[in-house]
Amino acid sequence: MTKPRAFDVRRQSGFAFVALCCFVLLYLPIILLVVFSFNAGQSIAIWEGFSWRWYVSAWQNEKVQDATVLSLIIATCASLVATSVAVMAALATTRTGTFRGSALVFGMINQPLMIPEIVTAVALLIFFAMVKVATGYTGLWYLIIAHSAFCIPFAYMPIRARLQGMDLSLEQAAADLYGTPWRVFRMVTLPQLWPGVLAGAMLAFVISLDNVIITEFAKSAGQDTLPTYMLGQLRRVVTPEINAISTVLLAISVALVVAFYLLSKSKKQ
Amino acid sequence: MPRGESSDGARRMINIVALSKTFGSGATAFTALTDINITIRENEFFTLLGPSGCGKTTLLRSIAGFVDPSSGSLTIHGDDILSKPPYARPVNTVFQNYALFPHMTVAENIGFGLEMLDRPKSEIRSVVGEMLELVQMTEMADRMTSQISGGQQQRVALARALAPKPEVLLLDEPLSALDFKLRKEMQIELKRLQSETGITFVFVTHDQEEALTMSDRIAVMNKGRILQVGGPKDIYDHPAERFVADFIGDTNFVTAEIQSLEGDTALVRLPSGRQIAARSAPDGAVSGPVTIAVRPEHATLEAQGALLDGLLKNIVYFGTDTHYHVMTQDGSTFVIRRQNQPDAAEDHKVGEQVGISFNPGVAQVLRD
Ligand SMILES: Nc1ncnc2c1ncn2[C@@H]1O[C@H](COP(=O)(O)OP(=O)(O)OP(=O)(O)O)[C@@H](O)[C@H]1O
Ligand SMILES: [Mg+2]
Repeated sequence: MTKPRAFDVRRQSGFAFVALCCFVLLYLPIILLVVFSFNAGQSIAIWEGFSWRWYVSAWQNEKVQDATVLSLIIATCASLVATSVAVMAALATTRTGTFRGSALVFGMINQPLMIPEIVTAVALLIFFAMVKVATGYTGLWYLIIAHSAFCIPFAYMPIRARLQGMDLSLEQAAADLYGTPWRVFRMVTLPQLWPGVLAGAMLAFVISLDNVIITEFAKSAGQDTLPTYMLGQLRRVVTPEINAISTVLLAISVALVVAFYLLSKSKKQ
Repeated sequence: MPRGESSDGARRMINIVALSKTFGSGATAFTALTDINITIRENEFFTLLGPSGCGKTTLLRSIAGFVDPSSGSLTIHGDDILSKPPYARPVNTVFQNYALFPHMTVAENIGFGLEMLDRPKSEIRSVVGEMLELVQMTEMADRMTSQISGGQQQRVALARALAPKPEVLLLDEPLSALDFKLRKEMQIELKRLQSETGITFVFVTHDQEEALTMSDRIAVMNKGRILQVGGPKDIYDHPAERFVADFIGDTNFVTAEIQSLEGDTALVRLPSGRQIAARSAPDGAVSGPVTIAVRPEHATLEAQGALLDGLLKNIVYFGTDTHYHVMTQDGSTFVIRRQNQPDAAEDHKVGEQVGISFNPGVAQVLRD
């Protein structure tokens, strides 16, 4: 018996072709990038055989080493700060009654997602320039602060989702059993919130690690993260070393995003 | 009269005076509780009974501290508790969905309250052991709460709430998720726990049978108001309002007229012209037309010429008892329930003219 089928986009003619085009466009360049990171030759376009040489060269390149260390420091700090702030923001927006302007607060927390990044970058550039003139400080904190700020909404989203899905009566039960608000948070809310916090922290880490535009504008002279170093290199000689660094970055990002996905899917046990 | 003692001498535990709660404001405002006045005594099994949405949970949560009443006062042992946060109130709650902590074992759940009270580890361990024994869960102490059955979860929730030895235990329909047999078992177990621990229980249910079998006293609620407070027998035999009579058990309503009133006994004239003594409701009508309520098992089927006459419309056999549906002169149906005797022949026929009789004092004059 054939039943009339509901509309199914997969059954439209040309669907397979369009889908294929999308996948090719999305993944072919990345696959090529990865493949050529193992090129034995100097070119990023002509295959001359398999070799690890560009990974070795990137590993031994002092500039790459410095940039990697800087990237990791910034991403770790930014992820910690953004996650802490995001936990507080998520608690404030889910564990209180709706208050005047709660929609506005929600919007403001997510502001970095909506304002064009280049605008934020220029604003930070000007602002930090003013601070630099006033204080003379040119260290790392500008980048950590800037990264923390734009990572907050990314950390906030999974934490808030987790909080909203949590059974409020657990926290009430804990309060009923003489738990003061802080102890209820530590003993009941946080253990349940944990996967959300971890997911948020990892997402923030990846976002910070990959950032170019804001970093490029907010960094002081001589500071380079991996992405800005690569950007600088692209303006000069391009060797498969860039491919190798990109591949490593890609691997880290993919690993973290997969972990994030698994965490946010994990049920409260 | 010493502080905390009510006029009848029993020690007062909870005193609720003129408590009201309105949710929201303006056009969406909803009054869930209106002018609640109750006194709950020490060591009492007190039940809040009413249909869904009548405000039972709201009242219970006001006592626990999760709902902030709009007006009125609430004292426990004479202390005003409305100004205190939930964690500072001497009450524990058994939540309807149990709300066990999923990341803790059964024993850790039960010990949680004592841990929050910063009791020494040795004391916590011994009390938890006691509680596990009390609810017969000793073998499951180290299981996670997701690895035990619904009935066991219910017992853990109970043990967790009892462990800190609260002055009052609040129970919000704790048995509603259980199947019939387990429910009956838990009713008996709850009653046993209450008498063993001597803790005052405030129990919420919408099941009239559960309320009648378990409670020392029942408060019947409807639409945010307390309609009647009394012992199960008092409520069943002498419902003060039509809603109470209707909600608890089956009832016949008969229109009548008060002839005279003496104490709580009213002489009423039935539609047939016959007169009989009935119990009057406190603050009820003192004269004029009223409705009286008569339970089906309190009336008997007689020959014509009794208190009320009518036509036997239907005989329904139920095994333990038989229901006779009689259409009285005013067209309403009066149901009589008679306990069946073994092998007794049915001595009535459908279509017969019959009489209905009941003893003086059995009928209850309703307030409205
Ligand atoms: N936070 C709230 N905001 C608005 N209205 C509410 C709120 N909580 C409860 N109500 C309303 O108050 C009324 C009483 O609710 P309550 O939960 O006390 O009922 P209940 O007697 O416990 O019912 P049930 O037997 O179904 O649990 C309901 O009509 C409900 O819709
Ligand atoms: Mg309820």
